[in-house]
Amino acid sequence: MLQNSWLIPLFPLLSFVLLLFFRKSKSEGTAWIGVSLTGLSLILSIGVWIAVWQGEGIKVEGTWFEIGERAITMGYEVNPLNALMLVIVSLVSFLVHLYSKGYMHGDERFPVFFAYLGLFSFAMLGLVLSPNLLQLYMFWELVGLGSFLLIGFYYFKPEAKAAAKKAFVMTRIGDVGLFIGMVLLFWQVGSFEYDEIFASVRNGDISSGMLTLTALCIFVGAIGKSGQLPLHTWLPDAMEGPTPVSALIHAATMVAAGVYLVAAMYPLFQASETALTVVAVVGGVTAIFAASIGLMQKDIKRVLAYSTVSQLGYMMLALGASGYVAGIFHLTTHAFFKALLFLAAGSVIHAVHTQNIEEMGGLWKKLRLTAPLFLIGALAISGVPLLSGFFSKDEILASTYADGRYGLFWLAVVAAFMTAFYMFRLFFLVFTGKPRGDQSGVHESPSVMTLPMIVLGVLAIVAGYLNTAWFGTFLTDYLAGGPVELAYGDHHGPSWIPIVATAASLLGIGLAYLIYQKGALSRDWITRSLPGLSNVIYNKWYVDEGYYATFVKGTKGLSKLGVLFDKYVVDGMVAAVVSGVQGLSKLGSRLQNGQVQSYGTFAIFGIVILLLIVALTGGYFT
Amino acid sequence: MSSVPLAAYLMLALILFCIGLFGALTKRNAVIVLISIELMLNAVNINLVAFAKYSINPGLTGQIFSLFTITVAAAEAAVGLAILIALYRNRQTVNVDEMDTMKR
Amino acid sequence: MNTWLLSILILSPLLGILVLIFTPSQDEKSIKWIGILGTLFPLGTALVTLSAFNASGEGLQLAEKFQWVSYEVFQSNGDVSYPIFYEVGVNGLSMVLILLTTVVSVLAAIASFSIKKDWKSYFILFFLLEMGMIGVFAAQNLFLFFIFFEITLIPMFFLIGRWGYLEKEKAAYSFLIYNGVGSAILLIAFVAMFMKTGTMNFEQLAYTFSLPQSELNEMNITRNFKMGMLIALLVAFAVKLPVAPLHSWMVRVHVQAPPPIVMLHSGILLKIGAYGLIVFGAGLFPDQFNSLAFIIGWFGVINLLYGAFLALTQRDLKRVLAYSSVSHMGIVLIGLAALNEAGMTGAVFQVVSHGLISALLFFLVGVLYDRAGSSQLKDFGGVAKRMPIFAGVLLAGGLASLGLPGMSGFISEFMAFLGLFETMPVLAAVGALGLILTAIYVLRAVLAITFGAEKELSNAHDLSSTERIPAFILLAAILFIGIYPAWLSDMLRPTLDSILLGLGG
Repeated sequence: MLQNSWLIPLFPLLSFVLLLFFRKSKSEGTAWIGVSLTGLSLILSIGVWIAVWQGEGIKVEGTWFEIGERAITMGYEVNPLNALMLVIVSLVSFLVHLYSKGYMHGDERFPVFFAYLGLFSFAMLGLVLSPNLLQLYMFWELVGLGSFLLIGFYYFKPEAKAAAKKAFVMTRIGDVGLFIGMVLLFWQVGSFEYDEIFASVRNGDISSGMLTLTALCIFVGAIGKSGQLPLHTWLPDAMEGPTPVSALIHAATMVAAGVYLVAAMYPLFQASETALTVVAVVGGVTAIFAASIGLMQKDIKRVLAYSTVSQLGYMMLALGASGYVAGIFHLTTHAFFKALLFLAAGSVIHAVHTQNIEEMGGLWKKLRLTAPLFLIGALAISGVPLLSGFFSKDEILASTYADGRYGLFWLAVVAAFMTAFYMFRLFFLVFTGKPRGDQSGVHESPSVMTLPMIVLGVLAIVAGYLNTAWFGTFLTDYLAGGPVELAYGDHHGPSWIPIVATAASLLGIGLAYLIYQKGALSRDWITRSLPGLSNVIYNKWYVDEGYYATFVKGTKGLSKLGVLFDKYVVDGMVAAVVSGVQGLSKLGSRLQNGQVQSYGTFAIFGIVILLLIVALTGGYFT
Repeated sequence: MSSVPLAAYLMLALILFCIGLFGALTKRNAVIVLISIELMLNAVNINLVAFAKYSINPGLTGQIFSLFTITVAAAEAAVGLAILIALYRNRQTVNVDEMDTMKR
Repeated sequence: MNTWLLSILILSPLLGILVLIFTPSQDEKSIKWIGILGTLFPLGTALVTLSAFNASGEGLQLAEKFQWVSYEVFQSNGDVSYPIFYEVGVNGLSMVLILLTTVVSVLAAIASFSIKKDWKSYFILFFLLEMGMIGVFAAQNLFLFFIFFEITLIPMFFLIGRWGYLEKEKAAYSFLIYNGVGSAILLIAFVAMFMKTGTMNFEQLAYTFSLPQSELNEMNITRNFKMGMLIALLVAFAVKLPVAPLHSWMVRVHVQAPPPIVMLHSGILLKIGAYGLIVFGAGLFPDQFNSLAFIIGWFGVINLLYGAFLALTQRDLKRVLAYSSVSHMGIVLIGLAALNEAGMTGAVFQVVSHGLISALLFFLVGVLYDRAGSSQLKDFGGVAKRMPIFAGVLLAGGLASLGLPGMSGFISEFMAFLGLFETMPVLAAVGALGLILTAIYVLRAVLAITFGAEKELSNAHDLSSTERIPAFILLAAILFIGIYPAWLSDMLRPTLDSILLGLGG
């Protein structure tokens, strides 16, 4: 099974190529090409996962090209971490393919959409299978391309165009960090291989300053891809893409690639206390920062987007706080419940044709299947006990506490409260109360759309039991087979932590219930009491505006300056030379006045001068 | 035989040549330019005759050569004046400054 | 056969001229077909040469040498005769560039279908230009190199000045004057080297200059002389490359010349500058090159950032691409300045890759002109709707240009930076900013054309089948190098190794 794991990414690639040939086809049966090929990937991934579960692993590499004596290799590797990722990615990808069959119904570029999905899945699976940093970087960029194409799928919309460009450029900023980190590591280690890098780290071949520097550079890449502060602004804008794309790329897989990168390079991070602290702080701050923005958004997808940013912050916090397993655990559960939430949101949008939650309401009765599934997702992400999110979030909190980062711990608890609040604000506004918009044509989505949601709904409930204190820490044992030496497998700190976490989430849900369902508290209660703060939050802390005023304007200004420099200084120099030559030639042509007499005069003077010289030098020129 | 030295002849020729040169280079009127050229030619003639007479082995070559020069000068004056008249008919002027077609 | 192969290759474009002379000048269709077939012949010859070429072999291959001119100098101790030879040969580097030349020439000839007038003289000049370009890369002595170098200038001047756009004459003169100054400096440097060493052959020159200084002193070759020569050569080729601030002629040419000619110009002619820097700069004066590496690196980074910043706000696609060429040539300098295998390979990869990418992009500019008579960004929008294949190829070309993995641009950027990070990490980190800027300006320009609300074009049909051939061939080549770079790097390695040996890296 493992020998064939290189086929996993190739199926979606094949789907991409095939669908490009069928791109003009009007038949929506073309979707089955994508669905079946990703289905094959899924089957193979599960097979690989089972094999890895039994303790197997594989690494195959060949020379790609050589630089002098050093060979740059390509190949594939399967270890516990990436086998898990393979399953998550191919599963979500498969479900999203299926879902899109219904969601994209009637779109005139139907096959192209599936082609792009295939390209993205290829890149993402390739990224996961990479045995070295260079290959990871290459697929990392390709993943960005897939995301770019899918965000800009509605290319005629100016917002989509801007969002696609923004996503590409913002992640590119992070990528350059990764690039620098990778190259610096190469010159330290002499290889891009994970194994050799880790070996050098263990042997202490790299100075500690360099370790921190490279780890931070690589983390910059993760920041860009995972939408962490301060490069998070592209992710909410990326919601311009079709909703299945948001579920696949901007919730479950690509944005988790940043977390995966940190996890894959974990021994490097472990070697530098500074790097870990930076990861934890960035993650923690992002978690609460994004959650605060999520409190006031009106677009259903944007709320989910900020929630994604916040949850990714949680994962980073976990990794930074030595909670390797907790981070990956949350990555897994989050992939399921966030994909579920997005797909359910897509189902809602599909039904009511708006994304503004102010225009929804009372959809519980109309969407008999979508609504409960959304509720499951919301409960899971809020960390209500017995659902998956509870276990993973609890573990993150426990490891943060155990790592002695109390400030970040309380930050995370507050973020958990906010998460519960905005998720249920969303739920109550969308599904309960009175309809606030025209809901005449609203009907439940077709079964190709609901089926993937049901699968995800089940997983959103049960995925949490992968790693619990009650039934066994399967995931911990499983990941212990990987290259990362787990510092301490058991993070179950003080027993009050689950209680605090549960209390925070129940408090959030309760508050949302009081405000948006019962109406016991006025909806603009906070807005009125804290107008300044809520305004800032509503405007997303003015980060976009700030970037625009500084970086965008600055770059543009520099560019304008460059144009002026080019026009006046560079071309000016040329013009100066030209006018100098012209002046000289004018002087020459003035002598050439056409008067025979003046020519004669010059000739005579010339002869006189020559004669004088001859006379004075005594007849010799030398 | 004669008390006039060679230098005096040469001096005379030099003065004559310089007057001719000055006239040829500065005068506006083409007729005067032509006459100045004649002056220069005559200065040359004087030189020729003087050298012929005063050289180490005196002969008639210089005198004969000056006769050729006079002939050529006459022909040249005739051609020059003819061109001048043709120009005058075309341009109504004998001013040398206005004859700058070489530049245009 | 093999003894004459290279000469046949160099002269092969003349066959087209020969046929064209006997073709009536009004017969547009057959002239254009002769134009394409005439470039196929050199391509075929180049492929035969490639098959005769031993990729792993060291040194010069397929060399030919004949005495051409000889003159004698009278000196007190008897006459010394200086023979000038006709010497050609190829190594891995020049083989790759010759192949690139012939491929791009064929595609440019296909793109020349859009030429509207005087096809006959156009193609005669076109073939002359191709001969000059092949000759430059095959020449093995200074004399021949210079002759071919000049042969490229003259047809180029007329091609720009006669078939270009609005300000074509100005662009043509600008081209001629800058390059004239460049080649004047080159000529002086060549003559000076010849005077001191008495040879023009590259290998002999390299050998002579590598002698210990004590022996060189007897030949009156001081360190300062070598440094002066290197600087003169660097300046001469910096004009050609071009290096900021000597780039304004190139921008003008890119904007004003007809697109097929820009394909050749940007694809091949600029690369002569890079080739010259590698062969003459690093090849002849390695020690001096070493000591100037830091400055060259700075120039590279400045070029990279300067071009990128200027490309950001240009309103004309052609100007964006022109400044992007300036920016990308900075990467060549960066690679050279790294003085190691990775950097050097990266520089050559960038030469080849940029040749292909800019040929593709300017080909697409030609298509845009054909459709809308403009290349101003504001005149376009939503082209993807009516011309999806065009939009796809443009996007692919843009992505290749910004260095997306899987395409040739990535390999070259990656290796050039990999090299520079070893020797000058801080400088390289500054230069890495260029990667972000490249993404911004490429996407800005490409998306402005293909995305957004649709704007009416006078004639918005997608790529025709004749237009698809060059587009797809170039794209395939870009992808091939991006996915399987070993093909190219194996061919280059012996040549680069020998240059690096001189550099001591």
